[in-house]
Amino acid sequence: MTEIYSLRPLAAVLVSAIAVVPILLSGRRPNLRESWTVLAALAKFGIIASMVPGVLSGTVYATRLGTFLPGVEFTLRADPLGLLFALLASLLWIITSFYSMGYMRGLDEHAQTRYFAAFAASVASAVGVAFASNLFVLFVFYELLTVATYPLVTHDETDPARAAGRKYLAYTFGGGVAVFAGAVLVYWLTGGVAFTPGGIADLANADPMIARLAFALLAGGFGVKAALMPLHSWLPDAMVAPTPVSGLLHAVAVVKSGVFGIARVVLDIYGPGLVGELGMGTILAAVAAFTLVVASVIALRQDNLKRRLAFSTVSQLSYIVLGLAVGAVAVGSPGNASAYALVGGLLHIPAHAFMKLTLFFCAGALHVETHTDDISNMAGIGRRMPVTMGAFAVAAAGMAGIPLVAGFVSKYFLLIGSVSAGGTTYAVALLVSGVLNIAYFWPVVYTAFFESPTERDPKPLVEGPLGGRFGAAASKLRSDGGPATERSGSSWDLQSDGGPATEGSGSSSDLRSDGGEPEDGDSEAEQDDHGFAADHEGQGIQDTVEAVEQLDEDHGEDDRLDWEHRRWTGEESTWLMLGPICFAAAGSVVLGIVPDLAVFLRIVRLIVAGATGVTI
Amino acid sequence: MTDLPPFLVALPLVASVVVLFAGLARSETGWPIATLAGLAQLGLAATLAYRVFTAGPISYVVGGYEAFYGIELVIDGLSASVVVLIAAVSLGVLAYARTAGPRGNPFYATYLLLVGGLTGVAVTGDVFNMYVFIEISGLTAYALVASGDTGRSAVAALKYLIVGTVGASLYLLGVGYAYIGTGTLNMADLSAMLAEVGYQSTLVQTAFAFIAIGLFIKTAVFPLHTWQPEAYAGSPDSVSGFISALVSTTFAYALIRISLSVFTPDFFAAVDLAQTLLIVGAVVSIVAGSLLAVSQTEIKRMLAYSSVSQFGLVLAGLAVLNQTAMIGATVHLLGHAVMKGGLFLAAGVIATATGAREVHEYEGLSERMPYAAGVFAVLAFSMVGVPPTVGFVGKWYIAVGAVEAQLWPLAAIILASTLLTLAYFARLVERMYFREPAAADDHVEGESAEPQPDAVVADGGRPSLGMYAAVLVAAALAVTLGAAVVPFAELLEPTLDLLLS
Repeated sequence: MTEIYSLRPLAAVLVSAIAVVPILLSGRRPNLRESWTVLAALAKFGIIASMVPGVLSGTVYATRLGTFLPGVEFTLRADPLGLLFALLASLLWIITSFYSMGYMRGLDEHAQTRYFAAFAASVASAVGVAFASNLFVLFVFYELLTVATYPLVTHDETDPARAAGRKYLAYTFGGGVAVFAGAVLVYWLTGGVAFTPGGIADLANADPMIARLAFALLAGGFGVKAALMPLHSWLPDAMVAPTPVSGLLHAVAVVKSGVFGIARVVLDIYGPGLVGELGMGTILAAVAAFTLVVASVIALRQDNLKRRLAFSTVSQLSYIVLGLAVGAVAVGSPGNASAYALVGGLLHIPAHAFMKLTLFFCAGALHVETHTDDISNMAGIGRRMPVTMGAFAVAAAGMAGIPLVAGFVSKYFLLIGSVSAGGTTYAVALLVSGVLNIAYFWPVVYTAFFESPTERDPKPLVEGPLGGRFGAAASKLRSDGGPATERSGSSWDLQSDGGPATEGSGSSSDLRSDGGEPEDGDSEAEQDDHGFAADHEGQGIQDTVEAVEQLDEDHGEDDRLDWEHRRWTGEESTWLMLGPICFAAAGSVVLGIVPDLAVFLRIVRLIVAGATGVTI
Repeated sequence: MTDLPPFLVALPLVASVVVLFAGLARSETGWPIATLAGLAQLGLAATLAYRVFTAGPISYVVGGYEAFYGIELVIDGLSASVVVLIAAVSLGVLAYARTAGPRGNPFYATYLLLVGGLTGVAVTGDVFNMYVFIEISGLTAYALVASGDTGRSAVAALKYLIVGTVGASLYLLGVGYAYIGTGTLNMADLSAMLAEVGYQSTLVQTAFAFIAIGLFIKTAVFPLHTWQPEAYAGSPDSVSGFISALVSTTFAYALIRISLSVFTPDFFAAVDLAQTLLIVGAVVSIVAGSLLAVSQTEIKRMLAYSSVSQFGLVLAGLAVLNQTAMIGATVHLLGHAVMKGGLFLAAGVIATATGAREVHEYEGLSERMPYAAGVFAVLAFSMVGVPPTVGFVGKWYIAVGAVEAQLWPLAAIILASTLLTLAYFARLVERMYFREPAAADDHVEGESAEPQPDAVVADGGRPSLGMYAAVLVAAALAVTLGAAVVPFAELLEPTLDLLLS
């Protein structure tokens, strides 16, 4: 491995940081402003991509910016692991930029200048996280990322948005403090915090109790952004942000920076062997396995699409952590188990990114075009948005680990790793979670394509009361006398009967205008909700009303209400949104069919070879 | 050997008298003369700092009377840093005060007197001489607080006067005990003689207790901080920016100087209770100051309680008593001065333009005053300790020092202080950026109908260029000084080696 001094890592970080200035200055001319964003995104991707061939042939690019603290250099290094994350974030930023234009303009959002500026700053910080050469530089950009994404979470300036912003700051700065404490401890133990493939040697000779404490602090701190349970609760709330933010930041850049931090700690600070020896690998694996199963179970009951996706993210992120942890536990096991698990975990970083971005983009497109956010109102929506829901189906299949899509390859490696390491529990958790993935994604696809607003199957899992019969009895007691049946019974039936249709929709819109409006008055009532629902029940009646407004008697058979039918040629929405959706979906298929051609797997192999010495 | 050190103190004192008499002939002469004196002072301080950092400590015997009777001025790396800080900040506040007021030559005369007093505390090598300068600084600070010309400033100044004088008196009592025990007042002599008397001697321990508590009061360590919030909140904006940046800072320096140069780390090694006193003061200050700051509704009071908490951090750096933590304490001492002074001045700019002095009035501020709100947010985040700002670097060194000394509870509190600081600044940032101005018209009407008697509103109502410049420079320094810490720490190391040996 040769190290070359180059300004490219610094340029890759700075290009979007500098772009913040022209974006802010051209706030009054949206087209100019967005061209800055696109220009910066393309330049950033170009710079990062130009380093790929060199890194694959064993070169590491580094920019040295002097000493920041004694023994700690402020250096940006493009090594394989960093490049993996940076390449991913910068590639997906390009398509997210286009998507953002379609989304933000489609909803006529306020404060778009702040939005695009904060977005550029966030991506700059994310690439800084990727190229950090030591724990300290990583921490610097990790904190900057928190600050830069805060305006995006609170973008709406409504009470839920501010609450989510507060929660976000409290959680992530709390995690930051833990990382800081862990970094101080590592610094104290070894006199340095530089990332070294295979781990810092001195750490193996240090006091094991303190080394364990430092690992717990670091993994716990990064685990906040990686949404490891029980530190995940900020993520579903952060869905209050505009959907491109939920897509790129809360499925790729921010959450993956947490996962990436854990990867750095496991691979380059402690080294997989030491993590296993200290017994921390088992604990981390147990937490990850718990998270990936429980989050999947919770996702089952989410009626709101963005919330379901958020819990799916929580679950999928733990696949990556599980891969890292099993890789650490399995060092020394026969059959290269450790290397397989690490490859699986790391490959899941890009695989999940492509798939989850597709899913979020689809949710956003549905929201912009039809204002439908709850899955229970999506019956038959495949006719209105065929391309979108088609892409959704492909990405959902990948999430569940069905072959030919990206998720399969990473889960395959992960499973081989866990089984050959003898970690039956983890293998079972993986398989159970795969089944649960199907269980929560298939209903969405099914309802979109094979149901219609007037003919729907019951969805006991979502609609049934928690606690089964006893729960039902309890909820009846609670809501005694109220129009419980009217609320849970779908309003479609009422309308299609022709009878109390006006009454039904009238009363619901009354409900909305009476109770829904915040006290502050008009400004907040006009705010778009970006498909956010505050609790597991989804948006409920509000979303139902918005969906009903889209339905028309002219489109269904026998004059029944149905979605407008649109063709597969893109007339369902703007190509600013459909293009990114198709690109991301295509990306996840390419990763699934020819993983070796897509550069990500080659980079992952290189990382694992560097960390374990085993080439797969 | 150089003759410059006495001029550091003499220059502002003489300039103060000049300003006063020039005012008899022509008013409006205060600012130009004060600025000239400030520039000269900065040049002098920089020259001396350069010499100290290149050629080692300078000592100067005033009037040629050697100790035991004479007074010695000693400038080492630590005091040189504080002297440069005093000169630079006082110049920055002058840029702000030109249009923000208070006007008039008496104000500038008092101002220069305070600069002289603080510089004196920083350079003196004699404990009784230090008391004299503490009194000069204290009295002029009371007068400056009272220059707000409102009932509130007067009450605040009176409270400050009473509590502050108690603090100075306790210090003097402590010096008296030390003098009885050793028969000398020179710091270098004292440190040798105290060791001879024996650290277990009640006399020595009592002397330390009195001096430490006295300076705790002057530095505003919880629960001895009671004078401070009102003094900061009740005084004119220029004054609160100035005293928040320098007065407590200099007294914290005095505590460090007495602890390390006079009592020396050996004393703390021998007397556990002394170190415990510092640690407890630090922890209680950090936690209680932050909690009180969260519960404030007035911006300047919130910033004042924030100072209580931040000085807890500086005290923690001292209490750890190793080199890393001392670097951290020094960096945080200087960095906090820049950040907190900048925050008070930024609050002043905002109040001048919009009349907003309460937390709730900051709602939607980013749209009305984008630059001021931006600067305030940058300073707030650097106070929280977001890297790579100077607020972070100081905290890093203190935390590493605490871990090196294996003082785990203290280390935990230092780290948690980030979150405590976040608690009160995040809500302000959130209000500035993510809330609509809550019916701005109502407030304007309300204020015009019933003008707040306590509010010290500068005339004009439009912040001047100088006001903005002072605030912007503070924000720029808060962000960039972090990068300068490593070379600064290298310069400081010889001094700290000497102090901690």
